[in-house]
Amino acid sequence: MRRSDLGEFEEIVLLTVAATAPKAYSVVIAEELEKETGFPVSTGAVHAALQRLEQKGYLSSYLGEATQERGGRRKRLFTITAFGGKILNEARAVRESLWNRIEPETLAKIGLDFS
Amino acid sequence: MKKNILPPKWLDRLATKLCAPHLREELIGDLQERYAMRFERSGRQKAFFFYLREVFGLLRLSVIRRKSSGYSSIPLFSSEMLANYFKIGTRVLLKNRGYSFIHLTGLAIGLWACMIVATVVIDSLSYDRQWSRGNDIYRIVTEDQKGNSGPERMTASHEGLAQELEKLFPEVETWSAFSYAERHFKPNELDEYGLKTELLRMDTTAWNMLDIHVTSGNPRRYIPGNQNVILSKSFAERFAPGKDLVGKLIYDIPTYQDKANPYLVTGIIDDLPYNSHLRADAILLNVKNVAPYAVNGFYSFAQNYVMLHPGTDVAAFSKKANHWYTTINKDRGKMRLELQPLKYIYLHSAFSDAQRIKGNADAIYIFSGIALLLLFIACVNFINLSTAKAFARLKEAGVRRILSGSRYQLILQLLTETLILFGASIVVATTFYNLSIESVEEFLGHRLVQTFTTNPEMALYASAIVFLTALFTGLYPAWLISGFKPSNTLRGIITGTFGANSLRKSLVVVQFSISIVVLLATIVVWKQLDLMKNKDLGYDKKHLLGIDYVSWDGKADAFKAEVQRIPGVVRTSITRWLPSQGGGFMMRQVPDPADAEKRIKVWFVAGDVDLPETLGLKLSGGRTFSKQYSTDALNADSLQQADFMKFEQAAMSQASMLTESAAKMLNVKDLNKQIRNAHTIPVGIVSDFYNESLYEPIKPTIILAHRAMQDGGMLIRVQPGTEKQVDAGIHRLWKQFYPAKLLEVNQIEELLDKQYEAENRLHQLFMFFSGLTMFLSALGIFGLVVQAAEQRSKEVGIRKVLGASVAGIVALLSKDFIKLVIIAIVLASPLAWLSLNKWLEHYPYRTEMNWWIFVITGLSAISITILTISFQAVRAALADPVKSLRNE
Repeated sequence: MRRSDLGEFEEIVLLTVAATAPKAYSVVIAEELEKETGFPVSTGAVHAALQRLEQKGYLSSYLGEATQERGGRRKRLFTITAFGGKILNEARAVRESLWNRIEPETLAKIGLDFS
Repeated sequence: MKKNILPPKWLDRLATKLCAPHLREELIGDLQERYAMRFERSGRQKAFFFYLREVFGLLRLSVIRRKSSGYSSIPLFSSEMLANYFKIGTRVLLKNRGYSFIHLTGLAIGLWACMIVATVVIDSLSYDRQWSRGNDIYRIVTEDQKGNSGPERMTASHEGLAQELEKLFPEVETWSAFSYAERHFKPNELDEYGLKTELLRMDTTAWNMLDIHVTSGNPRRYIPGNQNVILSKSFAERFAPGKDLVGKLIYDIPTYQDKANPYLVTGIIDDLPYNSHLRADAILLNVKNVAPYAVNGFYSFAQNYVMLHPGTDVAAFSKKANHWYTTINKDRGKMRLELQPLKYIYLHSAFSDAQRIKGNADAIYIFSGIALLLLFIACVNFINLSTAKAFARLKEAGVRRILSGSRYQLILQLLTETLILFGASIVVATTFYNLSIESVEEFLGHRLVQTFTTNPEMALYASAIVFLTALFTGLYPAWLISGFKPSNTLRGIITGTFGANSLRKSLVVVQFSISIVVLLATIVVWKQLDLMKNKDLGYDKKHLLGIDYVSWDGKADAFKAEVQRIPGVVRTSITRWLPSQGGGFMMRQVPDPADAEKRIKVWFVAGDVDLPETLGLKLSGGRTFSKQYSTDALNADSLQQADFMKFEQAAMSQASMLTESAAKMLNVKDLNKQIRNAHTIPVGIVSDFYNESLYEPIKPTIILAHRAMQDGGMLIRVQPGTEKQVDAGIHRLWKQFYPAKLLEVNQIEELLDKQYEAENRLHQLFMFFSGLTMFLSALGIFGLVVQAAEQRSKEVGIRKVLGASVAGIVALLSKDFIKLVIIAIVLASPLAWLSLNKWLEHYPYRTEMNWWIFVITGLSAISITILTISFQAVRAALADPVKSLRNE
């Protein structure tokens, strides 16, 4: 497997884009992340991550319609590409295989026994 | 519809600035949307703080970085571009010849004045910095804490003091006394004339203090027998060209003996550095032979210098020495010692009357300030004119930018023009500098060692400073001109933010305030000088000749009788006091009759019985001295030699004349009665006269008469217009009486005027600088008026067509500028009043600052302005309106 160039924050942003499709743009993503993690997330950070992901080809974007709250400005909407989906899937596979390899005793020991 | 909730404007603007243009649409929109959401969820305050964080969150490269335009830009500093800047720059300057000339004149004058003043300042600061041990050498200054008039500082200290300090304190490495002397040397005993020689008198120990390079002879050791003199190379060359003088005797022209004194030349040295307060033609060596220091009330004085071991803490040493000094004098710290560093002696010795070579720190400060202000005015002119010209160049700037020139390119273009102008000005200024430096030296009365032509390093620094000034001056106009939007300027829309106008106005006000202050200073200095030169001194200083102190060798009366017979001589007097030579031959502190605790100082002036009349003192009571009274004139010299006690007794009952202030202070009511505390019997009272310069308050003085004086000077009152003839007569007589002796005859008035040389120089300098500042300010305002007339030519044309008169148009154009000058007058007058009052406080007799000074200055500033303006304004008003209106 090629070494993933997907950072942790990027991965989460990418996931959020997939989860909030088709209305994914910085504000929605940032708000979503704030809700999920409980920490404030700045728009600039999300925007930077989105830019990087688009450069890497995991996302594609187009300019959407303008709204009143935005002072008449348009928003950039993001959708995940097939390549992005593949990368996300790969990352998930790595994680799952690792999870599956954890012995039940170990899971119990660290208080993660769900069975 | 939902109400639009927007974040604070300024934060929004900041965010927009930070954000790259291509990201603004989406990113700023996102920020505002989130702000609105937050606002609704948690209120204004939280939303605000979050927004603040968001804006700071934008500080990341991916947001800030601007997208490149996609075209390769021309490098700003490639050689082609530089050549292009230069070419366009020179073309622009040549095209606008008038402006370039005004710029050039102003800048060249400003730079030239700055260079001259900088030379003088640097030269003054270079004094006594060349000695290798200079940092360890100090002059001992004694400070007398007198009750009434503040501490009095003297460079003289007790003769044995330095030696005692060396003995007591290990910090002192060595010491020497330094003093000046003047001799007229001649190579052979029988020569008639001698060469005036300035001598540095020093002790043998001084060889270890100063770096003096001996070229021949072995002068370090004192050779007993004759006085030892060491000549400098250039003096020896002047004195006896081509001859080796080492080991030979040379002779002086004496003032006290009637035979020439021999001096042994023990060596030749390299010239002493010119920029040192110790500079001299030759050295007169003293043997160290000083009586041990003792506190007994009788002291000889000397100018003592000590050299401390390197690294000594001077403050601590000074404290220690003072502690000892106070203890040994038992005066509770009334007399204090101060160690004055060698390198400060030249500039900070205003208190030292005896010092021949000294500068004036205050004058240096004043004129460096004025020169800087002058340069400032020149630069202001430049900025003003360039910004005024910005209008004319907006189209050019617009076209350049549309043809893909960047703003920085445009700035560089304009800066290049500035640099070319400054370069040309510096060439002109340097030329004038080289031409004028000699006259400056003449004016100062001494050579300048450090000049921009002799010291390339200094010239390098100066060029760097000029370059920086040019950049600084050129930056603002360049920034302004290049900053307009090309689309607007080309359409002829000049946005309202042409705020340069108020800046220009305030610069003009500052400029004129400076010139007005300088002009006021010129008038006040002139008035003060006039006051000091023309004040009634209490005696008649005109048509009065003086012979310096000599020994008369018993022939005084015979000589006097002969002089009296020269046609034109009215009256003569052998005297122990000459005007301009101190307060008197003796000063005594006597008990104050009004207050037994206090003592008052009384000065004594002595001469023969003719002295009061020769001086022209005005008698206001009693009688003057006369030969008929035997008690009037005392044979002081022979009595003193024969029996000191007898002399004292005779002096007690000696007749004297008092000045009015002395009579008042000593409470003299009846004449011809002995005043006990002053040991004298007053027979007459004369009105007050000024013994010394007007820097000093009037001194209570007692005049005594002596007979058959062995030494002294001579005052000769002559008929008006016969000064030259009498002078020649005296010289002829002198040859007969004293063939070997030195004679110096002076006009007393000239000697007195010389005392005010500092003020005289100050006055001349102020005249010069006030002329320059006024000229430059007028030049600046002229440029602005030309500009205004050009810009408003259409307006003037329309007004004329509609029937405006020439006078009305001139008034229209001049009004604004005259308003500025009036503001400048209002601002400058109190400032000048305060600072000049402060300056006048130095003088006990000071001129008044009348209201008319301010009126005259104000009027002349306004009339100069009107004159400058009207020249151009009238031309604009007379122009044919058809021409200006048709032209597009």
